[in-house]
Amino acid sequence: MKKLLQVSNVTKQFGGLRAIGGYNGLSFDVDPGSFTGLIGPNGSGKSTIFNLLSGFLKPNSGSIVFDGNDITTAPPEAISERGLARTFQTPRTFSSLTVIDNVIVGADNPGERLRFSWTGKWRNQEAELKHEAVEIFGRVGLSHRVNDRVGDLSGGELRMLEVARQMIRKPKLILLDEPTAGVDPKLQQNLADLLIAIHRKGTTIIVVEHNLHFLLDLVDNLLVINRGELLAKGSPEEIRSNPEVVSAYLGGQDAAQSYKN
Amino acid sequence: MLLLQYIVSGVATGCFLILATIGFSLTRHVEGFLNIAHAQLLGVSAFSTWWINVVLGWPLIPSAIIGIFCAALIGLVIGRVVYEPIRSAGPAILLISSVGVAHILGGLIDTAIGTGIRTLNIDIATSYRFWGIRITDHQLLVVALAVIASASLSLFLAKSRTGLAIRAMAVNPSLAASRGVDVKRTSRATWLLSSSLAGLAGVVLAIIATLSTEIAFEQILQILAVAILAGLGSLFTVIWSGLIIGIAMDASVFWIPAGYRPLIAFGVVIIVLVFRPDGLSGRRSS
Amino acid sequence: MNWLQVILTVVTIGSIFSVVTLALNLQYARGGMINFGVVAYFAAGAYIYAIFTHPAPEGLDQYIIGLDWPWWAGFIAAGIASLLFAVLTGWPTLRLRGEYLAVTTFAFAEVLYSFLLNERRIGNGAVGLSNIERPIRDWGTIDEKYIFAIVAVALMFLTAWIFRKLLNSPYGRALDAIRDDEGAAQAIGKSAKRMRLQVFLLSAIPIGFAGALYAMYMTLVSPRLFTAEVSFIVWIALVLGGERTIWGAMAGTFGLILLEEVITSLPFESVSAAQNAAAMNHVVTGLLFIAVLRWQPFEWISKKLEKK
Repeated sequence: MKKLLQVSNVTKQFGGLRAIGGYNGLSFDVDPGSFTGLIGPNGSGKSTIFNLLSGFLKPNSGSIVFDGNDITTAPPEAISERGLARTFQTPRTFSSLTVIDNVIVGADNPGERLRFSWTGKWRNQEAELKHEAVEIFGRVGLSHRVNDRVGDLSGGELRMLEVARQMIRKPKLILLDEPTAGVDPKLQQNLADLLIAIHRKGTTIIVVEHNLHFLLDLVDNLLVINRGELLAKGSPEEIRSNPEVVSAYLGGQDAAQSYKN
Repeated sequence: MLLLQYIVSGVATGCFLILATIGFSLTRHVEGFLNIAHAQLLGVSAFSTWWINVVLGWPLIPSAIIGIFCAALIGLVIGRVVYEPIRSAGPAILLISSVGVAHILGGLIDTAIGTGIRTLNIDIATSYRFWGIRITDHQLLVVALAVIASASLSLFLAKSRTGLAIRAMAVNPSLAASRGVDVKRTSRATWLLSSSLAGLAGVVLAIIATLSTEIAFEQILQILAVAILAGLGSLFTVIWSGLIIGIAMDASVFWIPAGYRPLIAFGVVIIVLVFRPDGLSGRRSS
Repeated sequence: MNWLQVILTVVTIGSIFSVVTLALNLQYARGGMINFGVVAYFAAGAYIYAIFTHPAPEGLDQYIIGLDWPWWAGFIAAGIASLLFAVLTGWPTLRLRGEYLAVTTFAFAEVLYSFLLNERRIGNGAVGLSNIERPIRDWGTIDEKYIFAIVAVALMFLTAWIFRKLLNSPYGRALDAIRDDEGAAQAIGKSAKRMRLQVFLLSAIPIGFAGALYAMYMTLVSPRLFTAEVSFIVWIALVLGGERTIWGAMAGTFGLILLEEVITSLPFESVSAAQNAAAMNHVVTGLLFIAVLRWQPFEWISKKLEKK
């Protein structure tokens, strides 16, 4: 099967120290339609990998191919246009826009062209986008927040807002950076339902998550990262029984704890 | 030979620019913004020195000391009253505010001094010749002061407690605060220090140039050029940048009309920024 | 003091400068770009208008080009010139952020000023070009100065209307997103670089038109009309008016121009008193400027209004 994402021998250095890729560089690939969890201890480079994939950092060597296109050196907006969406570890929202505009602005909107500003042609898309945004809000459980100001939202709601903004782009692949951090259980359940639904519709998902309880119910694949290198990969069952992983990561106090929960 | 002469006078110009810029660079590091009003402090010191020297008839040295003192005091007060309350508003607001401060200081100097050209009541420069190159004692004074000022500043920053605090603030203000650096005190020390340096540069300006009330504005252009060229680098990149711009400005007279001299500074800056968006040092501000 | 004359001057000059403030409002408050050299685009428009409409040089003239074209050709050329200057300056510098952009735009304005001053072949150097073509004449019984004021006001409202349309469209929303958080905007496919350049170029065009109008009004272009002081005045006007709104930008400009006109038209007994007044004008505008930035009364008012 053709891969959706192919990462080959990628390395990244910060100030002369190799943060990603060890000796041979980091390599992994992702099948279309898969649901992958990216796990590893704090500081193992998970967020850096997301930044490399989404173009916010450029690798020092190696290549990244997404959907048949080399995106190794492409700028973030071009990668996003190709259908690779991402959220950030700390939610990033647009404080001067209303909640609903924060989602609508995410859409790949033909009405956003400069010349349409004066012809008013953008109004056609606007109603449709608004409808779509409201529907997504319903699914993440934010319906009552539609007309509020972004500043009034809780941390968990901001996270949902960010996910919703990427959903409206209808991405091929979405990278979620700790989507449940600071999110209350009710919203977490909404999020899990939403992710399952969009995954069923064919969206590929990679998620970085510390909450293994949340993660292991959802994903069909796990990538374990340690010190910027791929330690193991496989199905949740395989990973659970992998002694190397258990000692390096799952064996740790926090992980065992959160797994029990 | 003529070119060599221009280069030598360029070194003196560069040394003046270094004196004018080190204080500016210091506030930029610690307070995190470009203080457009810095050049007006040069004006404050230059005109107070002139007033005491010419109107009151005091000798140069005490006049200069009072001139520097005036600049330091005014700089400290402005830092306390204007900038301290809006520190958290971000560099753009601080930069724009400093334009307002420059307007106020410029207006006050205009009101107090009025138009016209002024010179200090001192001996005119005597020139010496070395292998056919002419150097004036004023130029030597500028070079000596630049060397002394930069050396003592770097010694102060490296050795003293306050110097260490200032450096910590420049690198990471919130980290410095969490490690027990008194942010307000250090910030005020920085204003005092950078304003005194502006005062010293103002005295030098009064010695080497004829003063008119527009002079501060002309200086800020060159100060900006040097500071931007240096980027967020150390004291030494400021020294390098000052010399590069000083020499480029004076040597350019060899090829193009002298009217374009101030332009050269910015020509250099634009070229450097196009190739290195973060200045010579290449360090990025967060 | 002739109050009618003062009001007419304030309306005309205020409208011309409002166009520049509006453009700056678009660049800074919405595009996040600090342009400290806005006078350069204004000067480019004024000079190009002068060069296009001025007769060929003769006698003591040192300028070499005078096309003697009709006023409307000069007016269009002024907008294009300002746009081209924006292309020339924006393309290399827009990737610089914040203060670096402020300083490079400032530098470009100084470069242009210095050229206009030193290169006598452009516009007679420091002397400038006088007797600039002024197409507006008395219109029936209406005096030309009224017509001029009307034209200036019309240009201002046209600019405001066009910018307003832009900012209320999805394009404006994407622009706001980029200003709020550039990284997050890139993550939803918005090209900050492209949109910033578009805004920068677009806002330069009305500045060029305003420059042409200014040249007609003054019937003179000379370097001393286009010093960095002009850039600062426009910035002060922008800050005074509250940077977010189109109405605020216009109100700030009119307030500032009114202040200056009243001070300059007061009958002073001596030259030095007039000079002192001009200097104190600087002090007062500086104080206002700092006070507005510190206490942000306009943010406060708009928040109050929104809560209602």
